[in-house]
Amino acid sequence: MSITEKTSVSFTLNGTHHTITVNPLRRFSDILREDLGLTGTKVGCDAGDCGACTIQVDGKQRYACLTAAAQLKGCNVRTVEGLSSNGNLSTLQLAFLDEGAAQCGICTPGMLMAAQSLLDQTPNPSEPQVLDALGGVLCRCTGYTKIVQAVLKAGQSSFSQTITEIENPSSEINRQKSVGTRMLKVDGYKKITGEEIFGADNAPENSLWLRAVRSPHARATFTHADPETVLKKFPGLVRVLTADDVPGNNGFGIYPHIKDQPVLAKNHVRFRGEAVLALVGDRESVESVTEDDLGLKWEVLEAVRGWKGALSGKLEPVQSEVPDNVLARGFLKKNDVEMAFSESDIVVEGKWTTSAVEHGYIEPEAGYARKVGQRLEIFVCTQTPYMDRDEVAQVMGLEPKQIRIIPSAVGGGFGGKLDLSLQPLVAIAAWILERPVRCIYTRPESLASTTKRHPVSMSAKAGCNRDGKLTAFEYHGDFNTGAYASWGPTVADRVPIHCSGPYLVPSVLAKTRALLTNESPSGAFRGFGVPQGSIASEALMDDLAEKTEIDPLEFRIRNALRKGDRTATSQLLENSVGQVECLEALQSHWQIWRKEAGVFNQNSTHKKRGVGCGSVWYGCGNTSLSNPSTMQVGINADGKITLYNGAMDIGQGANTIMIQICADALGLPATQFEYVMGDTDLTADAGKTSASRQAFVSGKAAQLAGENLRAKIILLAEAAENATLCLEQTDSSSGGKLIVADKTGSQEIILADILPLANGDVLTGEGTFDPPTTPLDENGQGSPYATYGFGAHIAEVEVDTLLGTTKVLRLAAAHDVGKAINPTQLEGQIQGGIAQGLGMALMEEYIQGVSENLHDYLMPTVGDMPEIKVILIEDQEPLGPFGAKGIGEHALIPTAPAILGAIKQATGVSINHLPVTPDRLYTALREAENK
Amino acid sequence: MKPFEHFAPDSVGEVLDLLQSIPKAKLIAGGTDLLLQMKQGSAQPDTVISLKNVEELRGFATRKARFRLGAGMTLRGITRSPELKKHFPGLVYAASVVASEQIRSLATVGGNICNASPSADLIPPLLALDAVAHIVSRDGQRDIPLADFFKGPGKTILKSGEILLSLFLPQPSGNMFYSKHAPRQFMDLAVVGVAVRLQKNQGMVREARVALGAVGPTPLRAKKTEALLTGKTLTPKLMLEAGEMAADECSPIDDIRGSAWYRKRMIKIHVRRNLEALL
Ligand SMILES: Cc1cc2nc3c(=O)[nH]c(=O)nc-3n(C[C@@H](O)[C@@H](O)[C@H](O)COP(=O)(O)OP(=O)(O)OC[C@H]3O[C@@H](n4cnc5c(N)ncnc54)[C@H](O)[C@@H]3O)c2cc1C
Ligand code: FES
Ligand code: FES
Repeated sequence: MSITEKTSVSFTLNGTHHTITVNPLRRFSDILREDLGLTGTKVGCDAGDCGACTIQVDGKQRYACLTAAAQLKGCNVRTVEGLSSNGNLSTLQLAFLDEGAAQCGICTPGMLMAAQSLLDQTPNPSEPQVLDALGGVLCRCTGYTKIVQAVLKAGQSSFSQTITEIENPSSEINRQKSVGTRMLKVDGYKKITGEEIFGADNAPENSLWLRAVRSPHARATFTHADPETVLKKFPGLVRVLTADDVPGNNGFGIYPHIKDQPVLAKNHVRFRGEAVLALVGDRESVESVTEDDLGLKWEVLEAVRGWKGALSGKLEPVQSEVPDNVLARGFLKKNDVEMAFSESDIVVEGKWTTSAVEHGYIEPEAGYARKVGQRLEIFVCTQTPYMDRDEVAQVMGLEPKQIRIIPSAVGGGFGGKLDLSLQPLVAIAAWILERPVRCIYTRPESLASTTKRHPVSMSAKAGCNRDGKLTAFEYHGDFNTGAYASWGPTVADRVPIHCSGPYLVPSVLAKTRALLTNESPSGAFRGFGVPQGSIASEALMDDLAEKTEIDPLEFRIRNALRKGDRTATSQLLENSVGQVECLEALQSHWQIWRKEAGVFNQNSTHKKRGVGCGSVWYGCGNTSLSNPSTMQVGINADGKITLYNGAMDIGQGANTIMIQICADALGLPATQFEYVMGDTDLTADAGKTSASRQAFVSGKAAQLAGENLRAKIILLAEAAENATLCLEQTDSSSGGKLIVADKTGSQEIILADILPLANGDVLTGEGTFDPPTTPLDENGQGSPYATYGFGAHIAEVEVDTLLGTTKVLRLAAAHDVGKAINPTQLEGQIQGGIAQGLGMALMEEYIQGVSENLHDYLMPTVGDMPEIKVILIEDQEPLGPFGAKGIGEHALIPTAPAILGAIKQATGVSINHLPVTPDRLYTALREAENK
Repeated sequence: MKPFEHFAPDSVGEVLDLLQSIPKAKLIAGGTDLLLQMKQGSAQPDTVISLKNVEELRGFATRKARFRLGAGMTLRGITRSPELKKHFPGLVYAASVVASEQIRSLATVGGNICNASPSADLIPPLLALDAVAHIVSRDGQRDIPLADFFKGPGKTILKSGEILLSLFLPQPSGNMFYSKHAPRQFMDLAVVGVAVRLQKNQGMVREARVALGAVGPTPLRAKKTEALLTGKTLTPKLMLEAGEMAADECSPIDDIRGSAWYRKRMIKIHVRRNLEALL
């Protein structure tokens, strides 16, 4: 009965009997993914905290990462691969597809298995049952709304009748216009079947593993043993990489002139989590080598912490090149604020601080590199393949064209996958060793080593007239940018432009600083500092409304930017300024909710409800910088039409909308399109998936590419401008045909008759768009963005004033998106943004060394979400594709201000530090009572 | 993980034999705590004995006017048991607010107790229900009130060679309420956990149990508070005092989930609220 090391375990997996010989405590997630090659089951934490690995064991949902092999003896196991049968999707999968419940898709297999376990027992579940069943799976993209809807829908008998339509969307095929429709995600099928390949799901068979050894100290000098002696002790280790192994520049960073973060630190570390060595070898060996084995000796130095520490000047600066720790400053001055304040009837001010916030994508960083001739191929989850290519090239001392980035499907990014993570490490190892090398970050490693949302310490002041017209706004913000630049300077620049909110303010003064500390580098995170700044401006709007006795929503409407107004940078807004419409669209909810909350409060002693609001405006694209996108489309001899899309889809849905846009511009059905995503060898540069720019900038490029191809076809067929196109696709040797018809008749283009390009395409189109901006002058005046998105949220909360707990009950969000290319995807973005905003407001706080796992770093679960109403406003942007502009970051910005406003309305207490955890709110409430 | 031996016996007898011959062997039930501890290196057993196949550890049954709850019962099993729901709804509730369904379908009540986490959700309700731990070894057996079972975080009175076989629950007198204070809706540990049971006679409290979680090195019974309540009629003033006394009786620490100061205040309010609910 004794079993040493390995045991044989038999179980049924997706209907097939398996007997395997394994270590009895091997995690079943590893068995599935590595031993059996079933990568549909995902691993987000390996610790029972995220639910990505949820499977069914004897019909019950379980975490595969907490299930030991021996526990499965004789069990019946089902994974996402077993949900569909003979290629037929299950009802639940179809409901997910139909609702748009999968965005990035990394949580989807776990969600599906959790939901299936419920449906197997309770075919027609109630909403609370659904919430309870899904409570153990985290999703960072969707805000859960569409997932819950999908599960409820799958439980309804009426849904099965509509299934044939989803499976065979014939109505879609014939539909000529795709923009504005709820077209199903083009990559949706892969995401609901587990077929999607994420960073950790693929690597060449003979890959070596790489693990970075990281600093446990915030600031220290260190020495280590000679790698050769370590290699001798561990036969499974192939190489120990040190800073001296970096062939090119041992420094990276997103700005051309700041490459301050070493790939591997040399002698000196500046934050806890910084990479110092990289172990390469077989998996067991790289995982088992300890610090002692490496002879790592640390000399711990006192760390610069927080805003005060950065500015105190007591310690050596974090980086010797920046003696005062002020990495960057932002400045904006419009008219004379001092005078404007002195002439204002009412002036209010305040101070706020916020915490570091983690992106919390469910997919930890993963990928591999391999050397192919004199080139490197890197397969990795990234938001920015082209920037990765250039960065890796300079770290390797190679030409950019020697690097190929092949993006995996990305399991969420939110700004966190804009910076390099494992790319340079695997690149160096694969280059030196001439073997493929893979790396998967552990969850604690991902948390400790990647960027965060900037903690900020800010003060602001606002003034208005007695009739509630804003006169002046002043803002000071110190952003803790951590040990390295990352996107710190961008944050310092973006915040002054946006800090006075979507309001007409005649005089504005804003000053920001990005401060270096020995803390996690702060980088890009949905909104680049604007979400933090909005907390100040929106709180002040509430204060002014109170002082002028004007309803807060009405106050915002009075002051909202309108067409013809000039912004804080004195940019004239000529088009697409839907702020007033957004606020007005919320008015009826606002009035009803406020009234209902008042009635509730009259009858409740310690539970109090309140309704608050917040506004957003946010420039789409890079600030005053050229940020062009190029898109290409091609048709080959078979009539296969491909969009070469360099605009990374990280779950937000670029894959789908780029096709919708290009298809309509070209005049062919979107359903005929195929696509290539973000491969630097196959697609043109469409810039970064950041700054809410892809729908606007790359979308426009996709439109231009479609129009370009159309123009060529029309010319070829000598047809009229408004001719209709019809593409006959075929696999046979006779080839595909394009039929071009106009009033005078129809023309057939035999595609095989045209000489093909190297990639096989016979007809191609290309479009490039670079949004027009102007540089900002020394006072930060100019036109930094070609267009802005606008919006507002209202939130109702219930506070238990004796416990300090806050529950967000409902939330309504109105956003001016220019044109809704795909309403389902927009709703998904907004619902997901709300979830992140809610987390930032109420629970998310990253503390190094403490919340380095998803057990202690709390992000909202399905049970924390309010009922959400989304309202889309379309004030078309003439520059955008079919009038569209961005939504990605806008969706999150107004949520926290609305929640804070609601808490204040409920309790009378303003909270000036985020997140508003129960103990903070409790303390503030008691202090208010004692005053 | 370093190499180890793994046994999966079918009976308690075999488990006890193994424990006798390999005293350092570690028991694994659902493994939700142990697997993580082994991965993090805080537990590095040479030998692991799985309790999964041991029939005698399962089930819930009535025996001579008291109930027997097998240590191997999963939390999910507890939430689905009509019998338990009927007799111990507060305990069923406590099981239902642990982590998530995925954890509950593996985690056992025995593991929850023997892991001896100060924040374990099942312990305060079981303390309030006067649960008795039925412990067996090759040398015999002993029944220890659960209140005397815990020695510190992760430490129990179990000696080498012993296992927790089951819990005995007396026929409950009066209702028991458990409240878990956790900011996040699912998958969150208790900031404080409070179980209160009252047996009343014509409005007068005849017997009171107040058990607190996450506010000391072990879950604890607030005995002074119990004494304060006994023999009295519940008035708003008494309930307030009981809350305050319970807060005085506990000794929480500061951690990421809340300060000691805040935890004491939460004890005060939850004790009072549970009393109000039992009014
Ligand atoms: C993500 C996550 C979230 C969690 N959330 C909560 C929560 O909200 N509330 C909560 O209370 N708990 C929570 N827990 C912990 C909870 O899962 C465990 O305490 C569980 O109940 C332990 O049961 P098990 O069967 O898995 O124990 P195991 O891990 O198998 O064992 C735990 C310990 O008990 C010993 N042991 C087990 N059975 C016996 C026995 N019969 N006799 C003697 N010793 C025994 C083992 O040797 C081991 O030391 C969480 C755990 C995880 C991973
Ligand atoms: S990977 Fe298993 S719960 Fe996160
Ligand atoms: S879709 Fe859920 S995490 Fe991305």
